[in-house]
Amino acid sequence: MNLAYLRFDLRRMVRNKRLMIFSILMPLALFLVFGTHTEGARMDTGITAAAYVMVSMAMFGSMSAAMSSGGAIATERDGGWNRTLRLTPLKPYAYVASKVLLSLVLAIAPLVAVFVAGVAAGGVRLDTGQWTMVALTSWLGALPFAGLGLIIGYVATPDSVQPITGLTTMMVAAFGGLWLPVENMPDVMRDIARLTPAYWTGQTARSTLTSAGIDSRALLVVLAWTLVLGYIGLRRFRADTARA
Amino acid sequence: MQAVAGVDLIIGSGEVVAILGPNGAGKSTTIEMLLGLVRPDHGSIQVYGQSPYDAIAAGRVGAMLQSGGIIEDAKVGELVGLVAGLHPKPMPAHEALERAGIADLGDRVFRTLSGGQKQRVRFAMAIVPQPDLIVLDEPTTGMDVETRRAFWQAMHAETARGRTVLFATHYLDEADSYADRVVLMRHGRVVADGTASEIKAGVSGRTIRATVPDADLGRLAALDGVRTVETRGDVVLLQCADSDRVLRHLLDHTTAHDIEVWSPDLEDAVLALSDAEEAVA
Repeated sequence: MNLAYLRFDLRRMVRNKRLMIFSILMPLALFLVFGTHTEGARMDTGITAAAYVMVSMAMFGSMSAAMSSGGAIATERDGGWNRTLRLTPLKPYAYVASKVLLSLVLAIAPLVAVFVAGVAAGGVRLDTGQWTMVALTSWLGALPFAGLGLIIGYVATPDSVQPITGLTTMMVAAFGGLWLPVENMPDVMRDIARLTPAYWTGQTARSTLTSAGIDSRALLVVLAWTLVLGYIGLRRFRADTARA
Repeated sequence: MQAVAGVDLIIGSGEVVAILGPNGAGKSTTIEMLLGLVRPDHGSIQVYGQSPYDAIAAGRVGAMLQSGGIIEDAKVGELVGLVAGLHPKPMPAHEALERAGIADLGDRVFRTLSGGQKQRVRFAMAIVPQPDLIVLDEPTTGMDVETRRAFWQAMHAETARGRTVLFATHYLDEADSYADRVVLMRHGRVVADGTASEIKAGVSGRTIRATVPDADLGRLAALDGVRTVETRGDVVLLQCADSDRVLRHLLDHTTAHDIEVWSPDLEDAVLALSDAEEAVA
């Protein structure tokens, strides 16, 4: 696959300070607020509260980074940029693939930032196997949100895409239990949380730290969300390409 | 309503061809079909024996569209580098910038450029694939006279390398000075096709300019050999198919004086051909 488009996107994204601040500093700050001073408390599943919050915030960071790459689509779609791209060998599918890859690349920085803070400020100690599993699940957990970003990118206008993306990210993170553990909330909030993909991606990533190991049901739900959101995103993309 | 119907052109390699015509003549549609941006209702389009997409993918066609279509917050070097990175056999991006005369703008964000500079960036993006055919849709829109001249100089450096150039314009002087061949379009059809001088020669007739106080315009317009009549105060401008006959009338039957007669320039030729087309339609 040709990586020229990914490189082109990345260089501009890194220049976009607001995006970087939102996707890296926000999960980092939330971790520092909620994840430190836990005094060694443990959740019912046996993992430390600090590790629990670290994984949740890492997931939130990778999710919001993934969503932001879809926002760029709305802007690029509006200005006739896709016409210019049609004067190059880049195939429409390669464009979308490049955007999904961009989601995954953008998700790396917030993950690393939160993990480092987890060790340095939260006292989180994991073995290599646990780190690998946590990193992998919270990184690939960005995929359903890459699909959601794609949908927003093809539905929103350049003016509306930022508020829509921001609001969706916050709603999904808050109701999905990434900001505050749903385990400590009333039943109705737990039921709502289960309706969001963020709950299941968080659950999958956190479960890798429990003695019971990865929650396979949660993993399946994440896969289902990825397929559904990816499918809708691709349909929007195809409808848009046919019109152009 | 068809935008384009039955455009039949054979363009040899190394030619510089101008498609000339007023807005709505079908210039852009013809170019968009050639580039695969618009599908024809009937028939098919082939460029170098393949579909427009395949010709572009092979790096044989570079194009510069009219305004819009660029990511405004990208840097010039990034834009040209992207197009280079997507094509199979590009020239280095910095070389394209140099040829377009914007080697010093590589680090500038596209949004901050002037209109003429933006067009040069588009030009660099069109030539960086090292295409055999360069297609330009109204390339000098928004350029001042100086920039326009520099642009066409850069353009000619490319044709000297054997590239074929097809450009749409509504500036007559551009077609006249820079194209080997002019294709005149109107209402989606080709009205004339040849060198600028062939097109001028193909139009018979002259223009007469005379001062005629209290001229009877109706009478003048009705004269045999008169195509159109215009007035500017006492001055009458007559486009004539047969200027001798009109002159005789002016001298014999009116008080016309300060009479001038001249041969058509390309603009007159275009008008005449367009009017002829109108009359047929």
